Amino acid sequence: MRIAIDTGGTFTDCVCLADGKLRVKKIFSTPADPSRAVLEGVRQLERFHNSRAPFDTVQGDFSLAEKPLEGDGSDIAKCGIAQSGADNVEVRHGTTVGTNTMLERTGARVAFVTTAGFEDTIAIGRQARARLYDWFAPAPECLIAKELRFGVAERVSSESEILREPTDEELAALVDAVRASGAEAVAISLLFSFANPKTEKRVEAALRELGIPVSASHRILPEFREYERASTTVVNAYLAPRMEIYLLALEERIAEKHRGGRVDVMQSLGGIIAARVAAEEPVRTVLSGPAGGVVGACRMARWAGFDKIIGFDMGGTSTDVFVANTEAAAQLTRESVVAGVPIGVPMLDIHTAGAGGGSLARFDAGGILRVGPESAGADPGPICFGRGERATVTDANLVLGRLDAESFLGGGVQLDGERTQRLMREQKGALETVEEFAAGIVRVVETQMEKAIRVISVERGHDPRDFTLVAFGGGGPLHACSLARALRIPRVLVPALPGALSAVGILLADTVRDFSRTVMMPGETMGSVDEIFGELSAEAAAEFAAEGLKGVAQRGVDLRYRRQGYELNVAYDPQEPERSTKAFHELHRQRYGFADESRPVEIVNVRVRMIAASEPYEPERCALVAGDGSAACSTQREVWFEGGFRPTRFYKRERLRPGDAIAGPAMITEYTAATLVLPGCAASVDGLGNLVIDVREDGVGQDGVREGGVREDGVGEDAAGEEERA
Amino acid sequence: MKTQAADPVELAIFQCAVHSIAEEMGAALRRTALSPNIKERRDYSCAVFDERGRAIAMGDHMPVHLGSMPMSVQAAIAAIAFAPGDIAILNDPYAGGTHLPDITMVLPVFLEQIETLRIPAESVKGGAKPVFYVANRAHHADVGGKFAGSMGPATTIEDEGIRIAPVRIVRGGVVDREVLDWILSSVRTPQEREGDLDAQMGACRVGEQRVLQLAAKYGMEKLAVWGEELLDYSERLVRAELKKMPAGEYDADDWLDDDGVTDEPRRIAVRLKIDPEAGAMDVDFAGSSAQVAGAVNAVRAITLSACFYVLRCLLPEDAPATEGILRPLTLHAPEGSIVNARPPAAVAGGNVETSQRIVDVLMRALAKAVPERVPAASAGTMSNVTIGGTDPRTTEAFAYYETAAGGMGARPGMDGISGVHTHMTNSLNTPIEALEYAYPFRVRRYEYRDGSGGEGKFRGGDGLIREVELLTDAEVTLLADRRKFRPYGLGDGGDGAAGRAIVVKAESGEEIELPGKCSRQLKKGDVLRIETPGGGGWGFRGMS
Repeated sequence: MRIAIDTGGTFTDCVCLADGKLRVKKIFSTPADPSRAVLEGVRQLERFHNSRAPFDTVQGDFSLAEKPLEGDGSDIAKCGIAQSGADNVEVRHGTTVGTNTMLERTGARVAFVTTAGFEDTIAIGRQARARLYDWFAPAPECLIAKELRFGVAERVSSESEILREPTDEELAALVDAVRASGAEAVAISLLFSFANPKTEKRVEAALRELGIPVSASHRILPEFREYERASTTVVNAYLAPRMEIYLLALEERIAEKHRGGRVDVMQSLGGIIAARVAAEEPVRTVLSGPAGGVVGACRMARWAGFDKIIGFDMGGTSTDVFVANTEAAAQLTRESVVAGVPIGVPMLDIHTAGAGGGSLARFDAGGILRVGPESAGADPGPICFGRGERATVTDANLVLGRLDAESFLGGGVQLDGERTQRLMREQKGALETVEEFAAGIVRVVETQMEKAIRVISVERGHDPRDFTLVAFGGGGPLHACSLARALRIPRVLVPALPGALSAVGILLADTVRDFSRTVMMPGETMGSVDEIFGELSAEAAAEFAAEGLKGVAQRGVDLRYRRQGYELNVAYDPQEPERSTKAFHELHRQRYGFADESRPVEIVNVRVRMIAASEPYEPERCALVAGDGSAACSTQREVWFEGGFRPTRFYKRERLRPGDAIAGPAMITEYTAATLVLPGCAASVDGLGNLVIDVREDGVGQDGVREGGVREDGVGEDAAGEEERA
Repeated sequence: MKTQAADPVELAIFQCAVHSIAEEMGAALRRTALSPNIKERRDYSCAVFDERGRAIAMGDHMPVHLGSMPMSVQAAIAAIAFAPGDIAILNDPYAGGTHLPDITMVLPVFLEQIETLRIPAESVKGGAKPVFYVANRAHHADVGGKFAGSMGPATTIEDEGIRIAPVRIVRGGVVDREVLDWILSSVRTPQEREGDLDAQMGACRVGEQRVLQLAAKYGMEKLAVWGEELLDYSERLVRAELKKMPAGEYDADDWLDDDGVTDEPRRIAVRLKIDPEAGAMDVDFAGSSAQVAGAVNAVRAITLSACFYVLRCLLPEDAPATEGILRPLTLHAPEGSIVNARPPAAVAGGNVETSQRIVDVLMRALAKAVPERVPAASAGTMSNVTIGGTDPRTTEAFAYYETAAGGMGARPGMDGISGVHTHMTNSLNTPIEALEYAYPFRVRRYEYRDGSGGEGKFRGGDGLIREVELLTDAEVTLLADRRKFRPYGLGDGGDGAAGRAIVVKAESGEEIELPGKCSRQLKKGDVLRIETPGGGGWGFRGMS
């Protein structure tokens, strides 16, 4: 049985695949020891699995475990996992342990070992300041204290030649010094070790004596630019002890109950690795949870028939956005900064905007309305929750009638509309009405989201009109229509299971590992990289074989014009190596406004991505039955849209049926989120239970949807046809 | 002061949109440029201007460029009758530039170009005049002249390199090969220059596309109103800050060690008059030295940039950097002085050294008005190093340029940051591995210069030490300051340590201290060691 468990701040989402259906369970998280909720999730899913009781399927209701877990870890054993659990339980885990360790700065005491004379480079970084005009910016915090930086007398040249090697005595002295420092982990990054790792390997072997985790840069990130490589290696070492204890203990506890049980972990790049590998290379898991969201959104969108998506996951304090092609791999970046520290291993290019539902609104000294980055958080929370006193985005939505006070979080939170009105009136500044203030807050926050989406789309040469906006998270579906309009995105998809999308993504993700080497060769020698591909592929195949996996190798090269500093990644076909160069010129023109086929090209990195596909899963599609959703309509209320309040129907999402079509304005509510369909837009439910919103300018086709909920582009029609055949 | 008129929400949207255009141009430039100084160190700036050439958005790039770029755009507008598809190029410090290595490109955005977008924009019709301008400026590692790297101790502008008055490098979408060839024939590293210039043109086009998209989306009428409002908004923010300050006249001065020709120190003096009632500031540099023979003369654009920077630093982080910031300012920079030089004065160091000292002086004066808001002096020099020669690996000419960070001055309430670029620059370091791939050098040491920060209740940040071994004979040029006059402390805080440069000769092992501003022929195996100044301390340390 394969189970995916995604640990979030409030809930731990658990998903498994049984009898061809996705089953979902949400339980409360246990932040002090996240593994408790994980084990409880496994237990509950297994119980349901064994009882064959129908529960929480794609179209079903969400329910919570009756009460949060209480007590200490010993409960697990008691309430615990079935005495003799099922065999071969495979737990796939999206973890926040890495992210939180970085944010809270609670990682290991790390010794940093580098070429002598360069000990401080890990702190100097790139010598630039993050905030250009702020005389009072705090000093960036280096993960390595001065007394934990160690130099080795060695040097490799830019031609990979070893100019000096440490003697055995020098190495022994280094080991002693590191031991005496009380370090709990070691990060080694010598100059040019990516090009010639021989000395670094010697240093690594010597330091392994210490019996603490050792991270070496030629393994973690064998690429040029010493600071980014070292920083990535240091993060790995910083996380290693804690992640190792956490993951290996979790795997042990699972294995105790389930013969052959194992734990795999979601990586930041959207693929799965074994817990053992993740424990050694935890730097690959710092965006574990959000990566699940990317994969989940991609799968859902692909099944719904959309190939290019912009993901939009709006939470309480921040919003994650990303661009992905659901047919190919999602966009990766090698220039991430997590909690102020650069990380160079490839991660999904998830851009975070510092604004969400809890962001606070204020007028600044120049009279401009600002929203965020300060957030009301969980405490005191928005005004409408009863304790907060400053206006938030959530309060603005309530004033505009865009929250369903009764169904908000299943009715679990009472919203105080009167208090919200009163306090927001006091804060509205020169604006005339509370509604104007509220509408302003919403527009400003949506502009920030729009900018975040621009950064990852337009600024990278993508045209939003070619995309579908996939909205999830608590606030995504509420703001999606309006954002789509602003960016001219023609369509919004609110997937079924918007609250457990990350867990679904983790469940369905492929096992992926990247292998790369910096080669720095002229473009004319493209054919000769075959040999390097061969070596990398062999290394990759061996690693996968050790895990009992069979993978497929994808080849790519990073190219640039000779002497440029940044590369573009293009696919490599051994039959037609020249095609890579052509693709590079085209991509360069598209991104940067020019290309020159006569200019010499350079091969910088050779990359192999090994992929073992997860077991295939196709969701069950229901036949579409034309309907207007009136059976799901719970009430009609006034909701504010540009120009004033308009009567708006409220629908219960769980009561909508495939084929239902609803014209905006409409609100569609569910346990974890609410979807706002703007006037002029039209929503329909597809055969998978997704909401698909056709985004149009207001005033165009007010009566919206054609009969049967078929979208104008005919995509819905095809999908419906397939279902009937199925 | 004008009253607020625009919808605060629409204004915020517009601010976001134009700022991201400037940032996007910067990303395109960095990712396509060839020289390490642009691609690794990001020594460039990008900005967007309205139809009158006023800056309405600037990327978070190099402060010294930002305040002075509007002059480049103004100079280009004055000199050229632009047609669609044109791009102007210029670097003449006496016609819109600052110093010769900074080459600026200006692209006028015509609405008729909107047809090149794949979007319907029927409502927007082309006119005969540009509706916006986009511009970028990048520091080129060599623009010819007497010294490799074009940052040497010249005594006239003619010796500093090629001087380009505003001229079209692209006409109607086609590169003017004659202009390009003229430039390339005047520099030491033509291939690298051509690649960098290509990247600048590409970045202009990226900016043009984005501006046109904005015009298609909102229409020009709205954009024009918003542009105006954004300028007003910046002005309001600055005036609001000045209104909080105590009225008065505040004097300060500080010194440049020398001009690189004689040993005579050069003074920069300022009087700030703050008028909180009007929310205005008058800045007068009377009493500053006359322009000098050496290359530390600043043109007026630089002095204005320094004022712009200081005013911008008084505003919150999310304030827009537009030209409106300068409206509450009245600047008096005596003509023919070191802060407003006339031709043929040499100006290479005005941009990088004198600009920092002008900021030091402005802050020293401001500290008398609002001591709790002003840090002690930071390193106060960019410690410029240029090295030129022939790379034995390729037998091609090379030109290397880099600035080294120093210590940041201590702040009231917190220590200064060590080894970080401050004030008018924010360029990154060249990664050692990138540097050794690109140049025949070997870096021997790169570390903090411990103890170089000034003492105080709060310590100044430490400077850096960087040691580079030459793997071939080469011409090494230094342009640095703060050797004699150290970065000042404030409130009884100590001064930061002075900077130093030393050559360790390969043959003899002899250590030779180099002056701050000089050019020397060094031998293969010689090691150049740069030690950058620490920041000043803040507050009395006490007895313990």
